Amino acid sequence: MKTFLNSLLLMALLFPSILLSQSTVSGTVTEAASTLPVPGVNVIIKGTSKGTTTDFDGKYSINVNNGDVLVFSYVGYATQEVAFNGQTTLNITLAEDTAKLDEVVVIGYGTTTVKDATGSLEKIDSETFNKGAIVSPENLLAGKSAGVRITSSSGSPGSGAEIRIRNGGSISANNNPLIVLDGVPLYGDANNGNIINSINPNEIESYTILKDASATAIYGSRATAGVIIITTKKGRTNSPLKVEYDLQISTGKLTDKVDVLSADQFRQYIIDNGGNENLLGSAHTDWQDQIYEAAEGGIHNVTLTKGFKNSSIRVNYNLANQNGILLTSQYRRNALNLNYEHRLLDDHLKVNVSSKGSFVDNHFADEGAIGSALFFDPTQPVQGNYGGYFEFEDEDGVRNLAPRNPVSLLLLRDNRQRAKRNISNIQLDYKFHFLPELRFNVNAGFDYEEYDGRYFTDPTAGFNNLNDGQFAAQGTYNGINKNRLLDLYLNYKKDLSSILTNIDITAGHSYQRFYRVGKARNLNTSTGNFDPVVPPSPFQLILESYFGRANFTLANKYIFTATYRSDISSRFSKDNRVGNFPSAGFSWLTSDEDFLKDSNTFSNLKVRLSWGITGQQDIGGSFAYLGVYSPGDIGSQYQFGNQFVPTLRPEGYNESLKWEEATTYNVGLDYGLFGDKVSGSIDLYYRKNKDILQFAPVPAGSNLENFLDQNIGETVSRGIEVGVNFSPVKNENFTWDISTNFTLSDVEIKKLSLNDTPGSIGTLTGPTLSGGVGNKIQINTVGYEPNAFYVFKQVYDSDGHPLEGVYVDLNGDNVINDSDKYRYQSPTPDAFFGFTSSMSYKNLDFSFTLRGSLGNYMYNNFKSANGYGQAILNQVGNQHYGNGSTDVLNTGFVNNQQFSDLYVENASFMKMDNISIGYNVPFDKMKFRASLTAQNVFTITKYSGLDPEIASGVDNNVYPKPRTFVLGLNFTY
Amino acid sequence: MLNKIRKTALLALGLMAIVSCTKEIDDLKPINQATADSVFEDPAAYRSFLAKIYAGIAVSGQQGPAGNPDIAGLDEGFSNYLRLYWYLTELTTDEALIGWNDGTIKDLHYQNWTAGNEFIGTMYSRVAYQISLCNEFIRQTTDDKLDSRGVDADLRAEIQTYRAEARFMRALSYYHALDMWRTFPFATDADPVGATLPPQGSAQQIFDYIESELLAIDGDLVGARQNEYARADKAAAWMLLAKLYLNAEVYVGTNRYNDARLQVEKVINSNYTLEPVYGNLFLADNDQSNEIIFPIAFDGLYTQAYGGMTFMVHAPVGGDMSPAAFGINGGWAGVRTTSTFVEKFPGMANSSDMREQFFTQGQSLEINDVSNFQDGYAVAKFKNVDRNGNPGSDPSGDFPDTDFPMFRLADAYLMYAEANLRGGGGDINTAVGYINQLRERAYGNSSANISAGNLTLDFILNERARELHWECHRRTDLVRFNQFTSNGVWPWKGNVPSGTTTASFRDLFPLPTSDLSANPNLQQNPGY
Repeated sequence: MKTFLNSLLLMALLFPSILLSQSTVSGTVTEAASTLPVPGVNVIIKGTSKGTTTDFDGKYSINVNNGDVLVFSYVGYATQEVAFNGQTTLNITLAEDTAKLDEVVVIGYGTTTVKDATGSLEKIDSETFNKGAIVSPENLLAGKSAGVRITSSSGSPGSGAEIRIRNGGSISANNNPLIVLDGVPLYGDANNGNIINSINPNEIESYTILKDASATAIYGSRATAGVIIITTKKGRTNSPLKVEYDLQISTGKLTDKVDVLSADQFRQYIIDNGGNENLLGSAHTDWQDQIYEAAEGGIHNVTLTKGFKNSSIRVNYNLANQNGILLTSQYRRNALNLNYEHRLLDDHLKVNVSSKGSFVDNHFADEGAIGSALFFDPTQPVQGNYGGYFEFEDEDGVRNLAPRNPVSLLLLRDNRQRAKRNISNIQLDYKFHFLPELRFNVNAGFDYEEYDGRYFTDPTAGFNNLNDGQFAAQGTYNGINKNRLLDLYLNYKKDLSSILTNIDITAGHSYQRFYRVGKARNLNTSTGNFDPVVPPSPFQLILESYFGRANFTLANKYIFTATYRSDISSRFSKDNRVGNFPSAGFSWLTSDEDFLKDSNTFSNLKVRLSWGITGQQDIGGSFAYLGVYSPGDIGSQYQFGNQFVPTLRPEGYNESLKWEEATTYNVGLDYGLFGDKVSGSIDLYYRKNKDILQFAPVPAGSNLENFLDQNIGETVSRGIEVGVNFSPVKNENFTWDISTNFTLSDVEIKKLSLNDTPGSIGTLTGPTLSGGVGNKIQINTVGYEPNAFYVFKQVYDSDGHPLEGVYVDLNGDNVINDSDKYRYQSPTPDAFFGFTSSMSYKNLDFSFTLRGSLGNYMYNNFKSANGYGQAILNQVGNQHYGNGSTDVLNTGFVNNQQFSDLYVENASFMKMDNISIGYNVPFDKMKFRASLTAQNVFTITKYSGLDPEIASGVDNNVYPKPRTFVLGLNFTY
Repeated sequence: MLNKIRKTALLALGLMAIVSCTKEIDDLKPINQATADSVFEDPAAYRSFLAKIYAGIAVSGQQGPAGNPDIAGLDEGFSNYLRLYWYLTELTTDEALIGWNDGTIKDLHYQNWTAGNEFIGTMYSRVAYQISLCNEFIRQTTDDKLDSRGVDADLRAEIQTYRAEARFMRALSYYHALDMWRTFPFATDADPVGATLPPQGSAQQIFDYIESELLAIDGDLVGARQNEYARADKAAAWMLLAKLYLNAEVYVGTNRYNDARLQVEKVINSNYTLEPVYGNLFLADNDQSNEIIFPIAFDGLYTQAYGGMTFMVHAPVGGDMSPAAFGINGGWAGVRTTSTFVEKFPGMANSSDMREQFFTQGQSLEINDVSNFQDGYAVAKFKNVDRNGNPGSDPSGDFPDTDFPMFRLADAYLMYAEANLRGGGGDINTAVGYINQLRERAYGNSSANISAGNLTLDFILNERARELHWECHRRTDLVRFNQFTSNGVWPWKGNVPSGTTTASFRDLFPLPTSDLSANPNLQQNPGY
């Protein structure tokens, strides 16, 4: 209403000087860089609702009056205003919006602009994604955002990566961020980081990473570990049919091999150490060469988009086929994405339907072969008597406790799984007719996945080791994972210019229900039948929430945001079910103040402050608060008389289980210098997690478990995050953008158990080591960072050689035992950074991404478990030997010294993640692009294992990441 | 305008209220997993729960052989009650040592364990878990609970017996706790689940509790040899009580040898008979034996675990031994014995005593390298073949049918003799007679019979080793005879090849540090 009055006023003022004469202006809108016409550009007469859009050829025509100001706007481009002074033709060139302050950013239940955001959030769009043949979407983000670590530990095709935003801060609860795909929060599994690998990275338009509580708290109980919002690509109205074909062909190779004794070295070692040479073979087998191969891959994308007057459609078909470098491992994704948008009722109702369907076929290799290849006697041949493969034998056939031929583990087993998944949602957005400032938004969606797998083994395989009458191992497994969602919210947005205030208020309700179940049936190899299985108990979760956000902008400079979410979770008992999560944020557009307005230095300066409380509820099963009974299976029965009675076990429970709570304080600064030539942001945060959900020891005798999920513990996390974007050159022919980020962070455990005393050792944690059963090398202790290595301090001789079994008597009691262990470093880096450079000269572009990490340590479990004499010489039964690490030649260790700090190595690294060079051929009616990319190019590190980047911090038979070369071709018509 | 906003907002909120789902959350219940309220709707649930209590000693969880463990914090195969109990009672003594590299496992024989030792810690958790299981059974079967579920009279009578057996099993685990730690977190069915930090029960308190419980259930237990196979009866309770009394001087400083003798007499007078052939007690069909008073039952197909008898049959097989002779698919080449134990048999490996079952081919008597299976004689005691030499029911040869004889008549005979020697009354000639029955079985004739003059405490300790070795008695016996730590030397004790004495505080195991952190009520045992 006010705007209308304003324009009336303006017109009244202009009236005397200019005659009210209507004329028509027309022209073409083109893009600056490509000089191609841009369809669908909004052309509006400023201050009115009169306007039009450009047609397929970028042409427009509109009736105007002298003095009218035409506003040309298009998403991603700088808006242009041109005054009409009687021109008949007005051709406009749109330049990409570099300031990006007005860029729309998708946030929880709505959108905002970079300028209006009070929280710490970062939008990363497709232009800045990592290049190459990327199968799993999270790898697009590695190294791109401060405070965000993406660690892909495995080179297995299709495997995901661990994502950490600000280190998470929880101890045994899920530290994975919440992932929201087009408004549908996906299930995040503490044990399965790979929840988005069925999504085609090509279809991702942008990621918004929400870091501080002001941004995340609207997601309440799932927000502590941060939130990543994924927005997929959509069509555009009024656009011509566009057909795009994109192909990426890749070949990957092992970067390096683990250092084990060669056949000759091995033979010599056996002889030198009094072994029995007669047990050796005469072959020279490099088992690592036998199990790895070059891996080919191909990713195809066919995309059709078309825009109509009121609607648009986008269809994408994706075939991603990726072989692994480990023999027989393969990943294939067939995915179809559909997006349809329709505007109805005079643009008052917007309907968007999105559906992402995929078939993911995996051929899983037995990754046990990786360890077996390092350990298997290199003097033995590959070929032999068991399914064509060599095995160690005794008088009864295959030696029962000898290792199995690694090649047979891969080739005589067939394990395939198909996962069918569909994630769909329909979103209705209605602007009320009588009150267009008010919108009602409905988002209904589901994520449904079914998987089916089966495995077969060859009856003649050595690993089956069948006796008469026995059957080869085989089995099936399958399951369903589903979640459904209904979100409703109202949004009221109003510009109250009379009091220089913009208000933007959202209130809504959300319901989401999860269900996951899986079961496996294995052939009873004795009877040849499938035994009945205990019916699986599904995971079930209902989350109901009320949420709201209020945003006030005063004088276009002072922005206040408050959010509130109330979550009700079925994970907790009635008394603890409701959790409330408030947040508040304030930002000050300092550069809009008079004293900076005309500054040549500061083109943009914004100060942000925020506080908020978020939660974490993702731990363990669905009814950890409730006492349940689990039936036993057929093999765990107990004999009463002549009958076998199935057992029934009461499970432990914790009635007082509740949310983990984190309070986060954030101070941030967004800056742009010298006309935004340099821009970025700096954030400092302090986060305190309390009532931490921990799978922790229970006081003996008090419950029906010895470990239970409990709310015990506190951690404090701190960090500094700096992002700098720098454009040294920007002209018509040559642009160069550099984007870097740097993060310093730490986490400290403040409380861990009911009875923390200065002498409390803490809780052993982390993966179980190889080299003995059940050993762990990491510990959580009050006053230290989580997952610290808990080791003996190695003593060295004057030449710097470690003395076997000699450790520093740290407590000075003249006995070396457990109490002499100390906490030494951890796998979490103290600092990490990313550096991306993108250059383009005319149609040629060149980019690379460097990523690094400092102060992260790694336990070399391969060396500790295989780098001593007994590991080679002393095998069960003394009828064979096992290969070992060449480290045994350096240390000369005879016995297992796995708790020595010798094996904890500095794994700081710098990696060239990708280098890419591309060329665009600008045909008239078609675009063609070719590119060459190298991925995992090189790594600079002092770490002695294959890869310094393994999330758990324990390097033990990890599937190595290949170095990959990719040829990319893209045709757009 | 404002009115319109209000109306619209109300409309929208109304819509939200319709889809509200608080009730749905309240109603959400586990599927295929019953709660305590619903599970006992099935009368068979009581019997299944009781079976779980017995299975708690035999298997490691709800999926045989592994997959859904009872206990977290240690590899499931290692976390089995009977396997850990065997580790702590045998590997710590002259009867056994192990060559594996699993964590701190060798520290057990070296007697240099710390409070962080995972095997001691997990045994402690196992014992506490077993007690908790029994407590829960007793809580769920009170008269009030049974009334509220309308349980009929027949089932009620049966449940009365189940309750007595659950109390026996709880007493058994408390006895293990008393024997290994003396003090232990004390929780009974009177304490609600998860709500309390158990106080530390003193040795006297736990001793008194075991005694009172075993006396109280005597009326409800089935008579000796009258119960279904593998379930506890009165004789099992008498035997446990006798063991408690026999060790009372060590446990609480009170002489109870007379009480011990009285309980043993009740067992001996219950018509158990010695198995004619000693070796048959440890075979796949040992459930047929009338000597075994209380077994832990295993089955190759239906009671599978990587602990228990699977461990006891596989782990001592290695070197030149033929797995097929043991009815298994392969040895685990871990456990052997020391020369100190071999020397207990006259003639050592060539003894006329048929209880001597050493396997010596390729094995050396002395142990240079603890990790080498062929250093030290192997012991061919437990086998998965029946008395006709047929292998057990599992065709894969992984899981034996052999049951573990936890209490058997020979032990009762030896206890009678010891109680008598220690001033517990009874008749010395009866005692000599019992011992000679064992020796006639061992030698096949009376050539090695003893007279009253030969019956000394030293003789008893050695005879117990010969008769009962590897049956989880040795540590308790050595402690009772004060030969476990500051006296008594055998190879590799104290981590020295020839052996050395250790500090006497190691007669008790340490409380695990993890429980000291979790429970402020606890004090560590002295010395640790």
